[in-house]
Amino acid sequence: MLKATARDEITGIVGKGNASFGKEELLCYSYDATNSLYPPDGVVFPGGPEEISRILRLANTEGFPVIPRGAGTGFTGGALAVEGGVILSLERLKGIREIDTANLTADVEPGVITGDLQAEAERLGLFYPPDPTSLKFSTIGGNIAECAGGPRAIKYGVTRDYVLGLEVVMPTGEIITTGTKKTMKGVVGYDLTRLMVGSEGTLGVVTRAFLRLLPLPEAKRTMLVEFLSLEDAAGAVEAVINAKVVPSTIEIIDDVCIRCVEKYAKVGGLASVEAVLLIEVDGKETGVQDDVARIRRIASERGAKTFWVASGRDEEKDIWNLRRAISPSLSKVKPTKLNEDVVVPRSNLVGLITGIEDIASKKGVVIASFGHAGDGNIHVNVMVDKNNAAEMQRGMDAVKDIFELTISLGGTISGEHGIGIAKASYIGMELSAEAIEVMRGIKKALDPNGILNPGKIFPKAFRQPQHA
Amino acid sequence: MRGIKELIEEAGRCVRCGACKSVCPTYDVLRREQSGPRGRLSLVEASFKGESGFGGAYLKNIKECTLCGSCHSNCPNGVNIPELILAARAEGVEKGGLSLAESFAYRGLLHSERFMQAALRLASRLQGLFLKGTAFENGLVSRFSLPVIGGGRLLPELADEFFLDRSHIEELSPSATPVRGKKGGVLRVGFFAGCGVNYLLPDIGEATIRVLKESGAEVVVPQQVCCGMPAYSAGDRRTARDLALKNLEAFEASGVDIITTSCATCGHGLKKVFAELLSDEGLQMRSRVERFASMVRDITELLTGELPYKGGEKGKKGGVVTYHDPCHLRRYQGISEEPRRLLSKSVFTFKGMKHPCRCCGLGGGVGFANYELSMEIAKEKASSVRATGADVVATACPGCMVQLKDALYQSGVKARVAHVVELL
Repeated sequence: MLKATARDEITGIVGKGNASFGKEELLCYSYDATNSLYPPDGVVFPGGPEEISRILRLANTEGFPVIPRGAGTGFTGGALAVEGGVILSLERLKGIREIDTANLTADVEPGVITGDLQAEAERLGLFYPPDPTSLKFSTIGGNIAECAGGPRAIKYGVTRDYVLGLEVVMPTGEIITTGTKKTMKGVVGYDLTRLMVGSEGTLGVVTRAFLRLLPLPEAKRTMLVEFLSLEDAAGAVEAVINAKVVPSTIEIIDDVCIRCVEKYAKVGGLASVEAVLLIEVDGKETGVQDDVARIRRIASERGAKTFWVASGRDEEKDIWNLRRAISPSLSKVKPTKLNEDVVVPRSNLVGLITGIEDIASKKGVVIASFGHAGDGNIHVNVMVDKNNAAEMQRGMDAVKDIFELTISLGGTISGEHGIGIAKASYIGMELSAEAIEVMRGIKKALDPNGILNPGKIFPKAFRQPQHA
Repeated sequence: MRGIKELIEEAGRCVRCGACKSVCPTYDVLRREQSGPRGRLSLVEASFKGESGFGGAYLKNIKECTLCGSCHSNCPNGVNIPELILAARAEGVEKGGLSLAESFAYRGLLHSERFMQAALRLASRLQGLFLKGTAFENGLVSRFSLPVIGGGRLLPELADEFFLDRSHIEELSPSATPVRGKKGGVLRVGFFAGCGVNYLLPDIGEATIRVLKESGAEVVVPQQVCCGMPAYSAGDRRTARDLALKNLEAFEASGVDIITTSCATCGHGLKKVFAELLSDEGLQMRSRVERFASMVRDITELLTGELPYKGGEKGKKGGVVTYHDPCHLRRYQGISEEPRRLLSKSVFTFKGMKHPCRCCGLGGGVGFANYELSMEIAKEKASSVRATGADVVATACPGCMVQLKDALYQSGVKARVAHVVELL
């Protein structure tokens, strides 16, 4: 619990309208997209790094946890107050300070919605490629904290590949800048930028990000390819990569997912197919035409049932709306989703897909798979009902089997969602005890009192959610 | 009508993904979780499950919703948050009653059309005392801060003569080749004016009648009362129900083939809300209200449907027009192409704006209860209009028009606001 004097001090730092301790506000900042509830003791809306610094210094003396929060749309509980404390909402820091068309860089505050930055860059003929599915509502700050990826990672990489430098408030209150602001190169000292990206709000609070942009590709084509089996679809993905074609996106969608979003389908006849690939290519107009022709040929050799190219922006939008609706719509299958985002080397994609099908039938659970097949990153959703203890246990067992399978195929247990609380108990499957100790050492050195986002990443017992 | 219990159950389908926040006009302006759909849903859910109270913060947040419906359209799990908010407001009225100001407005004024007319007639004569004219098109700015209203707000001028008081509107024959109705005679259209047209913007009523006649219909304007939507949005279903019944009876007696309105909000009320309010009153009432609802058309729907507008003068000499989609027309009635088609037949050159279907900020009682928030929301609309460089902003809802006029005035955007029918 927060002492009354601490509340007064927090309010004094940010001003009356920017700190809340009322039950209603706390309730609204108690959840994220994991849909579990951990009410905090307070919510604070700082206006800049100096205020954040003062709050963190106070937290160190008073000993309360501080949990940075962007849009609260994460899948692993990164923004949840699992040990109580104060939610540090960055919603007020929403300025795009500069888009530099000469240096192809952007200077943004953490509360900027990723899609808004993309739209603004696009207006100037530029391109910010990282495209997590939540891009219309998640923020740059959250994307950096989790090192968000997205469909375009196959060609363009992930958030970390676009962060040149950061302004960060350290857990003990110092305000530092890391990396560079406008240069592509920079090797002075340790790469603290890379350390911060993906640190899940446990090592510092990002208050400004200096990002790299690209010129907007001139042309783009979006394709929807239907298959009669998931293996055929996965095989086609491998064949496209082997043919040295690099699409900007190859998404795979299995039959369970198709059934959930059929009603959004304005195109194609999804009813009788078992798997769909959503492929996008971009670049010069002549190049994309050539790519479409090559992909069409490969797909037909690999048993594609239909091959369809979107004819304009509206059809492209329809396809992406369908794709983005999958994850939230899965609750139609079963109320509880054990949502994993494993990655394997692309050449092992078929092995992962067939292995998951085996696990589903062996454990007797429904598994819905979709995701970024192009870079080997599959969203594996074990669908269960948390009120059915036996089914829940079978689901948890299936998750463990999926992680073992992934690691045996040379993969990693989380590609882009982070660890948070959802996967903390599994990190030992992938990381050695020594590697985990090095990480703990870093955390201890930067946050000696453990006040910044405690309970995340490392396995630890914490309180139960109010209701999940 | 779905009750709060059923709606809370539906809210259980929310997985807290946050997609709704990206389309919510109040979240966009306020950037607080409780000011967006996901937060509001969580508050209502917790309050009705007994985990949280119904106090000031709860009320403030559910009153901030404009009921624009964008969150529902964008929810991957189809959760109808506006309906949940409406039901929560109605429960609040049942439990705690209305505030004094609301009670006066909804129960006192709306409920008694005679009292409302008398009060507004008096106000029409006295408005110069409190309000001053502007160099802008018709509108008045409050001279000093008034309770509820505040200073500097551009208010619509009350009409000198209210539309429904005008004797020439009672029964009118077509002015062009008559169009036949189903019963064989001339198509008989009943016009539902609504308060916006009646008290504030009677020119829309005149234009509607002119276009209906020019298109070959016989027009009737039965004695009618407020459609009840302001009361309904605030959660006062009792008042809304009584008004619905009065209107139902008035139009049944008029023997019309079709009922039309030039107000998007009234249209939604007549088509769907009347049935919801009267659905529990027996089979006979249900079939009456269903028959009534099946006759209702928005004016833009009618003029592109049963009574086609043929187009008047040729040539595009009227300047540039853009169009704002009223929430109650696009999302609640699914009408978006019709008004654009009509505009393409006018003398104006059409140019679309960015985010045409984003809420103007007036709806759901927000314009009344929280003027500042309402204007913050409207700012984005004003800048969309400015970017088009249009001479005229057309829309199909008097409520939106009042709001747009104010927003454009506050932002210094020199475009005229008109109803689509006024441009035909």
